[in-house]
Amino acid sequence: MRWATRASIHIDRAACAWLIGRHIDTEAEFVFVADPADVPADATAFDMRGAGLGHHGGDCSFETILRHYELTDPVLWRIAAIVHEADLDDERYDAPEAPGFDVALRGLSMICDDTQVLTVTGPLFDGLYEYHRRAMLLGREPA
Amino acid sequence: MADAGGNGPGEWVLLSYWLPREPSTPRISVWRKLKRLGIAQISDGLVALPADARTREQLEWIAQEVIEAGGRAGIWLARPAALAQERALAAALAAARVTEYRAVLAQAAQAAGSGGAARAATAQRLRAELRRIARRDYFPPPERDRARAAVQDLSGQDTDPDTADRDTADQVAAAVREQQP
Repeated sequence: MRWATRASIHIDRAACAWLIGRHIDTEAEFVFVADPADVPADATAFDMRGAGLGHHGGDCSFETILRHYELTDPVLWRIAAIVHEADLDDERYDAPEAPGFDVALRGLSMICDDTQVLTVTGPLFDGLYEYHRRAMLLGREPA
Repeated sequence: MADAGGNGPGEWVLLSYWLPREPSTPRISVWRKLKRLGIAQISDGLVALPADARTREQLEWIAQEVIEAGGRAGIWLARPAALAQERALAAALAAARVTEYRAVLAQAAQAAGSGGAARAATAQRLRAELRRIARRDYFPPPERDRARAAVQDLSGQDTDPDTADRDTADQVAAAVREQQP
């Protein structure tokens, strides 16, 4: 399936692309567009103004996608808190990792194109997922 | 990003919006978000920020929120026609931040005379406050560095309890390691 989002991706779009590729559609192909009018007819738009899978009711797009696809994995919701704070910074969640992810993604977007950003952030989110999975199993910070 | 001191006016992103007077909840929510972004109010229902990927995106989400709340909103990219007009916008933004930095400076001065724990707590709170202000500080005034230095001094005075905490934590960690098989 094809998925479309705004070009010059930042934390929310990078995290959504990872979520889609790992948990929703393993065959996902991503298209980056400058204007909502450029979204291909066969693509599902996310994190774009007007898209169903965007910001809604104070949620960032990552949270919207989790709700829409009824993904209840608590590890994904922990990542959602980080993405939310890195993107919206409204102090809804306690996510001390957020400012670091925000800066890392902003820096990456300065030296990589969107496809490269996804290539780099894929393993990063895989690692973040594994870290929080172990933390939840252990009930404390994993080594 | 707009550059008030550059050769010509830079690019700004504008949000024009109208929201029904009632219900007031969406109005308040939108206003809080705009305030957190540190917008320049051009007139009723028209706000501006120096254009960059982040400011544009944030204003676009607020535009969507306005529309979902039954209002009207538009996003515009614009260049002030005169440099003086841009300077006035930038000056208004800088002045708003100066007020915030001065509030931090005042609280830091007040806390400097208080006891260790209270002072450390204030330093921590003010450091978070400085981070919040920095995110909406597009034309940093000299007060920024003064406020940072004041908060740094406030936490710097407190190195002893910090070190003590760290020593304790190290001892606990060492004890735990010894207990492990």
